[in-house]
Amino acid sequence: MTRESRRAWLTFAVALGWFFLLLWPLTGIKADGSLTFDQTLAIFWRVAAAAAVLVVFWRLKRKGSFDGAGRGLATARAALARGISVVPAWIWWILLAAGALSYPLLTNRYGQDVAVTVLVYICLGLGLNVVVGLAGLLDLGYIAFYGVGAYTYALLSVNYGLSFWLCLPLAAALAAIAGCIIGYPTLRMRGDYLAIVTLGFGEIVRIILNNWMELTNGPKGIISIPPPSIYVPELEPTLHFVPFELRKITYAYYVILGLAVFTVVAVHRLNFSRIGRAWEAIREDETAAELMGVNTFLLKLLAYAMGAVFGGLAGAFYAARYRFVNPDPFTFIESAMVLAMVVLGGLGSIPGIILGALALIALPEVFRGFELYRMLAFGGAMTVMMLVRPAGLIPAKRMGQRSEERD
Amino acid sequence: MKKSLARILFLALALCLVAGGAWAKTLKIGSISPLTGPYAADGTDIKNGVLAAIDAFTAAGGVPGYDKIELDAQDDASCDGKQTVAAANKLASQSGDNKIAGVVGAYCSGATIPASEILDEAGIVMISPGSTAEKVTERGLKYMFRTCGRDDDQSKAVGKFMKDYLKAKTVFIVDDKTTYSQGLADNVEKECKALGLTVIEHDHVNAGDRDFSAVLTKVKSANPDVFYISLQNSSSGGLMVSQAKRVGITSKLVAQDAVFHPQLIDNAKEAAEGMYLTFGFIDENSPAYQSFAKIYSAKYGKIGAYSSYAYDAATALLTAIKNSGSTDAEKIRAELLKMDMPGAAKRIKFKENGDSGSNYIVLVIKGGKFVNFWDPETGKTF
Amino acid sequence: MEYFFQQFINGITLGGVYALFALGYTMVYGIIQLINFAHGEFFAAGGYVGVIVLSFLGAHGYMGTHPWLCLAFSLVLTMGYCAMLAMAVEKIAYKPLRRSTRLSVLLSALGMSIFLQNGLMLTQGVYDKAYPTAFVQGGLDIGGVRISIMQLLILGLTAVLLFILNALVFRTRIGKAMRATAQDKVMSALVGINSNRIISLTFAIGAGLAAAAGIMVGLYYGAVRYDMGFVPGVKAFAAAVLGGIGNITGAMLGGFIIGMVEIMAAAYVPHGGEYKDVFAFIILIAVLYFMPTGIMGENVDDTRV
Repeated sequence: MTRESRRAWLTFAVALGWFFLLLWPLTGIKADGSLTFDQTLAIFWRVAAAAAVLVVFWRLKRKGSFDGAGRGLATARAALARGISVVPAWIWWILLAAGALSYPLLTNRYGQDVAVTVLVYICLGLGLNVVVGLAGLLDLGYIAFYGVGAYTYALLSVNYGLSFWLCLPLAAALAAIAGCIIGYPTLRMRGDYLAIVTLGFGEIVRIILNNWMELTNGPKGIISIPPPSIYVPELEPTLHFVPFELRKITYAYYVILGLAVFTVVAVHRLNFSRIGRAWEAIREDETAAELMGVNTFLLKLLAYAMGAVFGGLAGAFYAARYRFVNPDPFTFIESAMVLAMVVLGGLGSIPGIILGALALIALPEVFRGFELYRMLAFGGAMTVMMLVRPAGLIPAKRMGQRSEERD
Repeated sequence: MKKSLARILFLALALCLVAGGAWAKTLKIGSISPLTGPYAADGTDIKNGVLAAIDAFTAAGGVPGYDKIELDAQDDASCDGKQTVAAANKLASQSGDNKIAGVVGAYCSGATIPASEILDEAGIVMISPGSTAEKVTERGLKYMFRTCGRDDDQSKAVGKFMKDYLKAKTVFIVDDKTTYSQGLADNVEKECKALGLTVIEHDHVNAGDRDFSAVLTKVKSANPDVFYISLQNSSSGGLMVSQAKRVGITSKLVAQDAVFHPQLIDNAKEAAEGMYLTFGFIDENSPAYQSFAKIYSAKYGKIGAYSSYAYDAATALLTAIKNSGSTDAEKIRAELLKMDMPGAAKRIKFKENGDSGSNYIVLVIKGGKFVNFWDPETGKTF
Repeated sequence: MEYFFQQFINGITLGGVYALFALGYTMVYGIIQLINFAHGEFFAAGGYVGVIVLSFLGAHGYMGTHPWLCLAFSLVLTMGYCAMLAMAVEKIAYKPLRRSTRLSVLLSALGMSIFLQNGLMLTQGVYDKAYPTAFVQGGLDIGGVRISIMQLLILGLTAVLLFILNALVFRTRIGKAMRATAQDKVMSALVGINSNRIISLTFAIGAGLAAAAGIMVGLYYGAVRYDMGFVPGVKAFAAAVLGGIGNITGAMLGGFIIGMVEIMAAAYVPHGGEYKDVFAFIILIAVLYFMPTGIMGENVDDTRV
C-alpha cells in the first residue's frame, strides 16, 4: 500500500463516517423516543459498497491498470472516426432526416410523446441559448415567453377563432415585445443582478396569468383549444379544400419537428452573422465591445427579443398540442430546467443543446420505473454530469484563439 | 439428426412461449396521481386505495381469464398538467399484453381535465376518485367517470349549513387559487349571495404559501361569523387553521373536502377542534367500508381522505371488466352504467355523464377525530 | 391603527426569517460568487432535524419539564447538523468545479437541491411533520395588538444570531480571513490563509443560520415539509440581491424589506394576497433599476456568466 493509496482510503473512511452522521438522524431517531439503526444501516451498506467499488476502480485507473484497455479503446475510436469521415456529410444528413421523418412510424404513442417534448425543449433551449450562450446574459425567467406564446395562441384561437398558422407569428411577435419589456430595465444590470431580476419577471408573468381572471381564466386554465389544422383537397363533388385537424400526436410530431428545424437553422444563421459576432463580443467583454463601436444597448435588447421569439413559437405549439393551458407549467423550476439543458449541453453549441434536451427529458422518463426515486436519481445525475463534464456534453467550438489559451 | 434436434428444440421453445403466455396472463390497470410534490399525501392514498382494491379482488377470485391483476401507477408530480399528460400518454401507449384496461385518477381537477382528453381519445375508461370540478364530467367525454361528488353540490350543502345551522350573516372566504379550490370558493360565494349572506371579502392566497399572517389578520379585524377556507390540500389547511388560532380568530371555521385528511388534525392539533368541513358521506359502519378498512389498514396504514374513493373507483372498474368479460372500453362503459352496488365510500351508481351523485354532509372535528355532524338533506344533526 | 401595528409585527417576523435565510446566500455569494440553490434545502433539513430531536426529547418527557432547554439543545444540534451537511455538499458538488464557469457550478447546485429535497422526502415521507407547539402558544396583548411568543422568539433569536455573526465576521481573525478570501482568493492564499477551509466554514455558518430559521419557521407555522425551502429560498435570494449581494448588513435589510412589502401588500392592496410576490419583485426591480448593485452593494466587477 503506497502512501497515496492510504490517503485515498482514509478520505474514503472519513467520507463514509460523515455520510453516516448525516443519514442517521433522519432515519434512526424515532418520534416514539427509540433509537434504531436497521434502516440507516440498510441504506448505509449499500452506499458504502457502491462507493468502495468506485474507489477501487479509481485507484486502479490511477495506477494505470486500464491503460491497455484505454489504448485499445482509443485505437478503436480513431478507426471509427476515420470510417465516419470517409462517408460524406450529406449522407449523414440524409440518414438523419430519414430517421427523424420515419420516427413516428417506428415508435408507439409514448415514444412519440417523449419525442415531441424533447423537440419542444430543443426550441426552448436554443432560444435561451441566444440570450445566455451567445450574448452572455443570464436569464432565469425564460419560461415566461413560453407562457406568453401559449396564452397568445390559446386566447386568439378560442376567442377569435384564429388559425394556428396565423397565431405562430403573432405569438412570436408578442413574445418578442415581452422580451423587450423585460429586457429594457435590466440592461443596466450585470451578472447575478440580472439573474434575479429576470427570475422576478418570470414569476410576475406567471402570477399575472394565474390571477387575471377576466383574461386568462386564472388557474382553471383555458380548455378545448383547437389543434392546428391544414386544408386538404377533396375531389368530390368538385375540387375543394376541407380543413383537417392535426389532432393525432403523429401530426403534432411533424409540426414541432418543422419548428425545431426552423429554430436550429435560425440560431445557426444568427450565430454566424454580424449580430452573432457582436453578441459574442459583448459576452467576452462588454466594455471593449462598446469601445469598438458595438451598440451594446440595442444588441442586448435584440438578444432578449430573438430569444423570446423561439420561446413564443414553442409556447404556441404547447397550447395547440395539449389543447389546454393553465399557469402551472410556467414556474421558475421550468426555467431552471431549460437553463440546465443549455449549460449541460454546452453553452452556445447547437448539437450540445439538442443532446442536453434529450438527456434531461429522457432521464426522468428512464427513471420513471423507479417511481419515488426518480427525482432523487435525476438530481444526483445532474450534479454528476456537471462534475464530469463542466463545460457541457459538447462544448462549443470557439472562433479564433485567445491570448490566454495560446501555449 | 442435428436438424431434427434443432427442430424439436425450436418447437419446444415455441410451445413454452405460447403456453407461458396463456398461463401467465396479467390484467393491467393504471393509476395517475401525484406521488411527489405538495399533493403527494393524497396521491399516495389514491395509489394505495387502488392497490387495496386489487388485493381484495384477487382474494375474491380475481377476474376470470387472468391470473394476476397488476397496477401501473404513474406519478404526475404535483398535479402538473404536462406531467399528467405524459403519464396519460404512457398509459395509453401500452399495447398487446400490457394494454391498460382502465385508469383510476387523476387527483387535481386541473390535471384530470387534460389527461382525460387523451385517455378518451385512446378509448380508455378513466375514473377519478377526487376531481370535483364541474367541468370534469361536463365536456361530453364518453369514458370519463368519477366516484367523488361535484363542487356545485358541495357549495349548496355548505351554504345551507351556514345559513340554517350556524345562522351566519357574514362570511369571509379565502382560497388558494387552484382550478379546484377557487372554483369551489366561487361557487360558495355565489351560493352565499343567493341565500342572502353577506360575503365581506373573497380573498386569495397562493398555493404552497406557508405564511398566512397577513390574510388572517385581515379576517380577524373583519370578524365575520364564518371564515370559509378553500385550500387545495390538508397540509396548507393545517397551517392555516393553526395560525388562525394563534392570531385569535373566533369566527366559525368551515372548510371543504380537500382538507379532509388525518394530517390536518396531526398538524393543527387542538386548533382544529370545533372546525367544520364538508365531505361526501361515508358510512363507516357499512359492511363494504368495514371490509375495505380491514384490507387497507393492514397493509397501508392510516386511511386517507381519498383512499376509499380510489378503492371504489378501482373496484367499479374491475367489476365492470369482470362482468363484461372484456377490456373493451365500450363494453366496460356499458357495464359501469348498469352498475348499482354498495361501495366503501358510497353507493356505486353512475349517471350517463359519468357522475356518481353527491352526498355531501358536514363533519366536525371533535376530540381529534372527524365526526359526522349535520346532514343538509334532513337539516338535522347526526 | 391596531390593524396596522398587527400587520407590522407580522411583517417584521417574516422579515426576520428571510433575513436569517438570506445571510447564507449572501455569505456564500460573497466568497465564491455562487448562487447556492441548495441553501433552501439546508433550511428544510434544519426544520426536520429540529422536529426529530424535539419529538425524541418529548417522548422521554423532557419537553414537559424543560421545554426551553430542549429547544436550545435542538437548536444547537440542528445547526451543527446542517453545517455538516453544507460542508459535505460543498466538498462533493462545488469544490471540484471551482475552476469551471459559474454556470456549471450553478447547475451542480440545482442538481444538489433536487437531490436533497427528494432525499428528505424519501426518508421523512410526503406528509407534513408537526412541531410540538404547546409551549409556545399564547402571547402579549398590547392595546389590541397581539404579539405571540413565537414572534418574540423569532425576533429575539434573529437579533442574537445577527449580532454573533457580525462579531464573528468583523471582530475575529476568522472573520478577517473570510473577508480576505472573498476579496482575493489568490492573494489570501499567498499570505497563508487556507482558502478551502475558509470557504467550507462559510458554507457551514450560512447553513447553520438557515437551520435556525428552519426550526423557527417550523415552530411558528406548526409543521415542516420537505419542499418548504424552495419558495422562501427564492424570496431570500431576492432579499440578498436587494440588499446588495455579498453584503451582510444588506442581506438583513433586504430580508426585512421583502417580508414587510409582502405582508403590507396582502394587508392593504385589493387582491394583494394573490399578487404579494409581484409587489416584492417589483420593489426589487425598481430598487435595482435605480441602484444597479442593490441598496448597500459595492460595485461588483464585470463578471461573466
